[in-house]
Amino acid sequence: MSILKCDDLIMQFGGLAAVNHFSLSIEAGTIKGLIGPNGAGKTTVFNMITGNYKPTSGNITFFNESITGLKPYKIVARGMARTFQNIRLFSNLSVLDNVLVGFHHKIKYKLYDAVMRLPRFKSEERIMHETCLQLLDRVGLKDRAYLKADELPYGDQRKTEIARALATGPKLLLLDEPAAGMNPQETTDLMYFISEIRDKFDVTILLIEHDMRFVMGLCEDVTVLDHGEKIAEGKPADVQKNQKVIVAYLGEPDA
Amino acid sequence: MNKTRNSLLTIAAIVVFFIFLWYASTHFNKYSIRIMNDVAIFMMLAVSYNLINGVTGQFSLEPNGFTAIGAYVSSLLTLTVAQKHAMFIIVPMIHPFDTWHLPFLAALIVGGLVTSVIAFVLAFPVFRVRGDYLAIVTLGFGIVIRVFSTNAISLTNGALGLKGISESTNLWWSWGWAVFSIIIIMRLVNSGYGRAMKAIRDDEDAAIAMGINSLKIKMIAFITSAFFEGVAGGLLAHLITTISPTLFTFFLTFNLLIIIVVGGLGSMTGSIIATVMVVWGSELLRVVDQPMHIFSITIPGVPGMRMILFSVLLIATMIFAREGIMGQREFSWNSFFNMFRARKQR
Repeated sequence: MSILKCDDLIMQFGGLAAVNHFSLSIEAGTIKGLIGPNGAGKTTVFNMITGNYKPTSGNITFFNESITGLKPYKIVARGMARTFQNIRLFSNLSVLDNVLVGFHHKIKYKLYDAVMRLPRFKSEERIMHETCLQLLDRVGLKDRAYLKADELPYGDQRKTEIARALATGPKLLLLDEPAAGMNPQETTDLMYFISEIRDKFDVTILLIEHDMRFVMGLCEDVTVLDHGEKIAEGKPADVQKNQKVIVAYLGEPDA
Repeated sequence: MNKTRNSLLTIAAIVVFFIFLWYASTHFNKYSIRIMNDVAIFMMLAVSYNLINGVTGQFSLEPNGFTAIGAYVSSLLTLTVAQKHAMFIIVPMIHPFDTWHLPFLAALIVGGLVTSVIAFVLAFPVFRVRGDYLAIVTLGFGIVIRVFSTNAISLTNGALGLKGISESTNLWWSWGWAVFSIIIIMRLVNSGYGRAMKAIRDDEDAAIAMGINSLKIKMIAFITSAFFEGVAGGLLAHLITTISPTLFTFFLTFNLLIIIVVGGLGSMTGSIIATVMVVWGSELLRVVDQPMHIFSITIPGVPGMRMILFSVLLIATMIFAREGIMGQREFSWNSFFNMFRARKQR
């Protein structure tokens, strides 16, 4: 079953078409890669899917419902979460609080419950704390729960960002260059981490990545974007041999 | 177990404090009591200003406008009908308003609610912009309020101001409201809503991407601080008994800004400490405004010397303690006891 469909998306900034006639479909339970050279429009696609940009034209459907032009926080409530290319944690908050923010859209108690400290507030906060600590345990960050987010090493900051996205209870997780700035060992760890998450949390994953080893090792399906247009799609091994892809990455062979 | 101990300690501390207030109200002289009232009102203003500026991270310069609204609304409501008829000598007051009269507490609450409603309406245009622009828009709002109160003569008595306001604010009212506002705001900050506010402060886009309706959260912060600023304005008006448009200039906001920055943006404990330091300190520093004799040298009194000292304090804070006295930390009984334990071990 395909859970996300993009139909003929166009995103224009002034006269520049950053993304042109882009279509995409993601099957439930897969890990899909979105690759392409710098400036190909990958992050723009992400921003359209998550609601940060409103597409100039085209349609996005998530679980057979149109989400085109919805506000980002409403799309989160429907089961989609993202991470950012450059890590964007709430740096003054603890790891635990960062992840708790992910739970925010599920909070049912009202303002007066919080101000008067009514039982509803207390029980809901307690359950949220427990769920959160369990989540941190499952991603292996439990012993760092009370550290400030910007005190963590780089790799753990990435994990925290992913944990925060998982806290929103997503069915589709969008990762924007998760392996950026990591050394080969950290990258390998992250590969295991992501495929583990897919199985443990039963999520579908769409990721942008430059590291080819990472993409080829992890993704079951790859879409290649160049100058805002889709130039190839398919199994990683097939895409690697595609002539258009090689040209896009390496340029035309000299005649 | 610790939780019950801590809440018992908090209640005990508040009781002890109010016993002290009772002692003060019977034994202290008028001057000291006046300073204590000032401290309470400024504490209330600082804590509520810190909610929007420090916790939610929206650099807004609205307090002077909101205090003015609260002060005018509540004073107009507590003035008797006869007083209003006697005072509005240029233009009589618009009809239904001149007959309204409310007791002190009701007038304060109405003042706060009117301020909140205005904050709600203002929030839609204000939160379309971020950062410096937000500061400029809210600064403009303060000026609009001042111009309005000078020119809407049939409502505010214009530049003549209001006088003869009953001197209802005493230690109980001012400190009661201060403690109440601190408790409410602390509870708000220590809830999911407060977490969302801090998330918006640290990275608004990421907060939105995590499912936070940022406009709604910013509004909650803005309207809550507007309510308490309005009430504080009412308390201030009933303390000094005479108000005029010139009372609520940008300097009020500027003083509050000094307080919350020195105390630590986002720390309510810091705001409380800094309020005592700045408000009480500015009374203690009155000596520097007067002529001084140091050995045989006579320094002539320079009015406004205190403000220079405060500027120096602000600059020193910026250089040596950029996070303020408390940073973003808060006082808690646990850390208070841990401090002693750590000492003993050494």
